[in-house]
Amino acid sequence: MNKRLSEKYTLLGSNPKTKNNLLEGVKSFAKSPSIHFLLFGLIIVLIAYLAVEKTFPNIIPYSWASALSVTMAYSVASIGFCLLMGYSGLASLGTGGFIGIGTYAVYYIINVSGLSLWLAILVAIAVAIIIGAIVGFISLRIEGIYLVILTLGLSEILRNLYVVIEDSIKIKNFEFVGFLFKRQHAIYIVMGLLVIVMIITHNIINSPTGRAMLAMKNSTAAAQAMGISLIKYRLLAFIICTVYAALSGVLLMVTLRSARASEGTGFYALITSLNILAAVIIGGYKSIWGAIFGTFVLYGLKTTILSNIDFLSDELMVFISGILVIVIVMFYPGGLAQLIGGLKYKIKKFALKLREAKYGKDLG
Amino acid sequence: MVKILDKLLAHSGKLTKARQNYDWIKEELLGLEERINTKKQVELDRFVVRANKQLAKLGYTIDKSEYVNALIEEKLQRFDVKNYMNHRALNHGDAKAIFKAIKAGNDWQSILPGHNEKYKKLIEKRANYASKVNELSNNSTVEKVDSSAYDRLKNQLLAEYEAFKATVDKKYEGIFQKEKARLENKLTKAEEKINLIKSKVKVEKTLEPDVLLEVKNLKMYFGGLKAVDDLSFNVKKGEIFGLIGPNGAGKTTVFNCITRFYDATGGDMYFENKYGEVVNMRDFKVHDVLLQGISRTFQNIELVKEVSVLENLLVAATRTYRSGFAVHALGLPSLKKEEKMLRQKAMRILKFMQIEQYAGWIAMGLPYGILKKVEIARALMADANLIIMDEPAAGLNDVETIELTEIIRKIRDTFGVTILLVEHDMKLVMSVCDNICAISFGQLLAIGTPEEIQSNKAVQEAYLGVEEDE
Repeated sequence: MNKRLSEKYTLLGSNPKTKNNLLEGVKSFAKSPSIHFLLFGLIIVLIAYLAVEKTFPNIIPYSWASALSVTMAYSVASIGFCLLMGYSGLASLGTGGFIGIGTYAVYYIINVSGLSLWLAILVAIAVAIIIGAIVGFISLRIEGIYLVILTLGLSEILRNLYVVIEDSIKIKNFEFVGFLFKRQHAIYIVMGLLVIVMIITHNIINSPTGRAMLAMKNSTAAAQAMGISLIKYRLLAFIICTVYAALSGVLLMVTLRSARASEGTGFYALITSLNILAAVIIGGYKSIWGAIFGTFVLYGLKTTILSNIDFLSDELMVFISGILVIVIVMFYPGGLAQLIGGLKYKIKKFALKLREAKYGKDLG
Repeated sequence: MVKILDKLLAHSGKLTKARQNYDWIKEELLGLEERINTKKQVELDRFVVRANKQLAKLGYTIDKSEYVNALIEEKLQRFDVKNYMNHRALNHGDAKAIFKAIKAGNDWQSILPGHNEKYKKLIEKRANYASKVNELSNNSTVEKVDSSAYDRLKNQLLAEYEAFKATVDKKYEGIFQKEKARLENKLTKAEEKINLIKSKVKVEKTLEPDVLLEVKNLKMYFGGLKAVDDLSFNVKKGEIFGLIGPNGAGKTTVFNCITRFYDATGGDMYFENKYGEVVNMRDFKVHDVLLQGISRTFQNIELVKEVSVLENLLVAATRTYRSGFAVHALGLPSLKKEEKMLRQKAMRILKFMQIEQYAGWIAMGLPYGILKKVEIARALMADANLIIMDEPAAGLNDVETIELTEIIRKIRDTFGVTILLVEHDMKLVMSVCDNICAISFGQLLAIGTPEEIQSNKAVQEAYLGVEEDE
């Protein structure tokens, strides 16, 4: 007999759904985004491990480890920017300057003072909170393009400050949680922090705080009428963005080991802020995965997947990313996240068509 | 010095926190029965599943006609799910709602207004299919299985189930009473605490017994422009109060002054807040107005487009959450508990507004009339005692306007709130309002019942005269 039918002839009508089913529990656990983030982290770490340790030679080139590490370090800043732009409706071009907070924290704590990386992270967060709060207060008075210009100015001030303090900084190998971290091992720290940042960001987005930010973005008047204080949430958004940028700086310093403030294409320059902005637009300004993917397109694509193509120079990559931004803004305002979502939908429709062709429209 | 201290105490965090605590316990008490019932159902379901497994071992006994009927039903159900779920004419939301209704065994055709036109072809197809299935089933044969053992077990299990249900009922009744007593005890304690804090504050101003909002000599100047000039009116408790006037009369400005979007140039607005004390609205910031018990809707719909209807209601409850940012960022279980409670409350309100089937839908694609209702529901979410509606009928058709009239009355009667509305639609205002205040160029023309306003000469000249010119 038909199994589904059999359920009807039981004690009390249909078989009720119970929640203590082990399989159901495992399923819902596997569906939770935190697990996806963890899996993503593990996969990247595995790729980097294969690249660095050369256990299976020539599977993955050695250069991938550092390229992935840089990409993922920038991704932290991108996620923060995502929260600022996509969820709070604020804009900033100060990412470059904020990244410097992290790099200098690492330099002074680890190299000069010889203390642990934990302390460097804490100091970076503390300083970032102060600077984020300042920008947040300013954002109450100024909006839109003026805020962008203001943060740009602030970023340049910070950069010049870095030039004055110590133009060129370098760190050596350091000990962290009992291991000696060499340059190629940086990816483990980067992925650890990135996964934590992803989980926290996901939590914020789906909490009352995230909803309040969205309400603020949609209409400040309605948000205020609903009891949402603009000061609190704008401040919070800027603080989160700045803290993430500073953490990104910490990770970049751990990965690349040196930085020059006076360099025109360095971390603190305008180009970094613009790249992060472009990455978030390409990836989709309201998606964590989108932010990471966009950053990968801008920072990691050339050095990893496209590294064998000879004619691709740095200038050409800038050209390509520029075109990409134009195309995406015109046709997919939601970024690559929207593109992939649309693809999923199209595949579903196609599968339905196939089924219809096979079984007929009525008696499927 | 003492005065300043009093003021500080009155609006200090201590009192707000105590009140938040009180509101929260009240909310917990409201949703208690529902929560206990779901827990009970889970336990009963577990028993049924166990019993079903036992029965399955013995096999089934089925009458032929019964079996065939069930077969037809199931085939049709599958047809419905497949065709309506995946049909191109349906958008995803519609399909989901239909699917849910079919699964629950409800009449799915009543969910969608205007479905008959749009899905006519589909319905015809379904009828064809039904006849086909019927033919098919006439030829099928099913043997009857001997079933004495099965029946015996089933009867035994049913008796067991009854006994089990009785014990579970008793158990959860006990839990319910205990929990209720605990919460009520907590509630009285919270109330005592509030009273203790409040007793230290001197009451400076009292309103007349049945007055909720007293606007006194309100002035709002924009440079040289006198948008509102020396306006005074009283809104009584539990009434529907209309504010009318020709374009540019300053109605919305009055609203914005009361809800503190504008800082009034002069005058006072005394309001008896939801905790029963008289406050001057001028002492509050925009985002604290809601906590005092004034919520509002907007002329143009101002919902969060990207999130669902239910989450839109939760936006209005942002200040009800007791958990802070750290709890939100780490996603701790205490947040989940709060979220569950507030979702329950939001569903209650959506059910009241009769739009609960849209709870999970994204706000962006919904029809205008539904969005208006969602906005009113959002205003209800904050337990306000004064709801200010800014042109609720703007953009609605005649049928929807009549429905809105009923909704406004129903809200007033059910929640005991006072409603203050600005409206251009004279039909709505005259039919729904108890009292009307007519203003022109920021100055008072007349206050009175709809009949009085209609026969007032000054109003006719200022307001209706303008309409005749058009």
